[in-house]
Amino acid sequence: MDKFVAMVGTNAKTSTNRTLLQYMKRHFADQAELQLMEITDLPLFNKPENSPIPPQVVTMATAIDDADGVIIATPEYDHSAPAALMNALEWLSHRVHPFVDKPVMIVGASYGSLGSSRAQAHLRQILDSPELRARIMPSSEYLLGHSLQAFDDKGNLTDAKDAKKLDGLFKDFLTFVKFSGELNNATGLNKKEAKDFDWSTLE
Amino acid sequence: MKLVGIAGSVADKSYNRMLLKYMTTHFSDLADIEMLDIKDVPLFNESDDQTNSDAVQYLKHKIEAADGVIIATPEHNHTITASLKSVIEWLSYKIHPLDGKPVMIVGASYYNQGSSRAQLNLRQILEAPGVNAVVLPGHEFLLGNVKEAFDADDNLKDEGTINFLQSTMQKFVKFVTVINSMEKSAPKDDDGADSEDLGATGKISTTVEGIDMNAPDWVEQAAKKTNAAEGNDYVKLDRGLLTVDQLNAFLNSMPLELTYADNSNQFIYYNKMGPAEDMLARRTPDQAGDPLSTVHPMKARVIKHVKQVIHALRTGASQEVRMPVPGNTADKYVVHNYRAMHDPDGNYMGVNENVVDIMPMIKWYLKQTGQKLEGNPDATTSASVKAEEPAPVADASSSASVDDGAEEKPAAKPAPAATPSDGYSSASVND
Repeated sequence: MDKFVAMVGTNAKTSTNRTLLQYMKRHFADQAELQLMEITDLPLFNKPENSPIPPQVVTMATAIDDADGVIIATPEYDHSAPAALMNALEWLSHRVHPFVDKPVMIVGASYGSLGSSRAQAHLRQILDSPELRARIMPSSEYLLGHSLQAFDDKGNLTDAKDAKKLDGLFKDFLTFVKFSGELNNATGLNKKEAKDFDWSTLE
Repeated sequence: MKLVGIAGSVADKSYNRMLLKYMTTHFSDLADIEMLDIKDVPLFNESDDQTNSDAVQYLKHKIEAADGVIIATPEHNHTITASLKSVIEWLSYKIHPLDGKPVMIVGASYYNQGSSRAQLNLRQILEAPGVNAVVLPGHEFLLGNVKEAFDADDNLKDEGTINFLQSTMQKFVKFVTVINSMEKSAPKDDDGADSEDLGATGKISTTVEGIDMNAPDWVEQAAKKTNAAEGNDYVKLDRGLLTVDQLNAFLNSMPLELTYADNSNQFIYYNKMGPAEDMLARRTPDQAGDPLSTVHPMKARVIKHVKQVIHALRTGASQEVRMPVPGNTADKYVVHNYRAMHDPDGNYMGVNENVVDIMPMIKWYLKQTGQKLEGNPDATTSASVKAEEPAPVADASSSASVDDGAEEKPAAKPAPAATPSDGYSSASVND
């Protein structure tokens, strides 16, 4: 069974994005094993030249390395992904590169009706950068709007259409992960390039 | 012209900081640019509100006092740094100092892109309703291959680059003038209300002089200076005698949120019933003593309304002004009442503002008398606030704190009923 890291894209104590990932973990338990990952206690990224990588970053990178894929749930702050999520991705592309060629599925929930659409587009752009080089599942968007009303007391999606769409996308993600495993001809090189990638030493 | 510059990096060595520094010295004839440091600003976390921290308040005050802002952004992972984004999140959560503020974006990067993607991204972020900055269009300044760009004295080497930056800077200075005069010229159609001095620079007989009105501990400092009564000290009132403790207990148990703005437009008191987040109109202890201009966001339209209300009360044109806040529902109907206060000789003493949710009282009345509300299709007022209704004025500090830009942030009230379905994006409450 595939093992996925489910990254909660916010450091807020309460978040419907966390609720969404918890729902996915339970709901898809027979298809994959989801492990929730929090980004809360990371220090603010300041491009440390020589200091050691924080142990929490190492733990996170190892978990992602070991996983078959990553699911990220992002809220939207100011038309973009939250600073806390951007910060985690900065740490996870600095001297460690667990995202290279890693299949990623993006989901998001918001209180309004847009469902974090702009944050998701922003996140795609970030994950596409040369330091991250993630393999984002194309043509798939899961925008959960009005998220405060979207779950029942047990944390299950109340709307059958919302649930069905997520079922479909998750199934697609399983397939995407499988195919992605075969797209491995350049993986070694990609990993090396990401590792060697350093703006400061560019000619 | 007074500008502030923010380098979007907390790294020890930053070419963007170097670029800004170059601009401060090289363009000192065009504007006085002060560089602001963001390295002490914590990572934004809505569960741990640091809006009142020194680092955030420092940025707020500096930005509010400036005519415009220059942001120099690096590019990390195809976007701006988390540290810069975090600063903007703090400045769009409970406070909105960038609202209506002219902003210029520049950026430097190690490779030839010159932070192009980060700059576009930053524009999009600054456009979000909680931020609402006015960004200089066009005139993109992208400094690529930055390691070769500066000489040993940290000056830009290339003549063409310097000339282009200079022309961009000249455009921005003009832009700042135009945008700020646009904001200022708005209240011209009033009836003398423009003369209201919201900065509370005028002295009245009760003004406590020599103490910074914006100091968070203004109350303590002013109390010390005036030898103010406290605790068990008695105060003779009309009509009665209470100790200060009794007076506090009495005022803090009022079913109203009370605010006292004096004759000089200084906000000198509110009945602190509990923490700001539990209040209908948020007030924080550090605000006591602030001039009204600091309590309210510096947005021309809001300022205009605040001035009009105060002026109407001061001149006696109105004895009371009453306004519902946007976003009221069938269960909650919050009203702001502003009443003029006068001494026995009829001299104006300031504004008594009280904020109250009238629905519990109405519901109680209906229950007691066995009646019910009936909708009137012809009624012009309804529980939902119409779009054209002016936002409540002095409430600006509370309504502006509603951050529609950030969907997950908990403070958000429901958007006004008449806004489009994505109310949060198009019609923020301070609209």
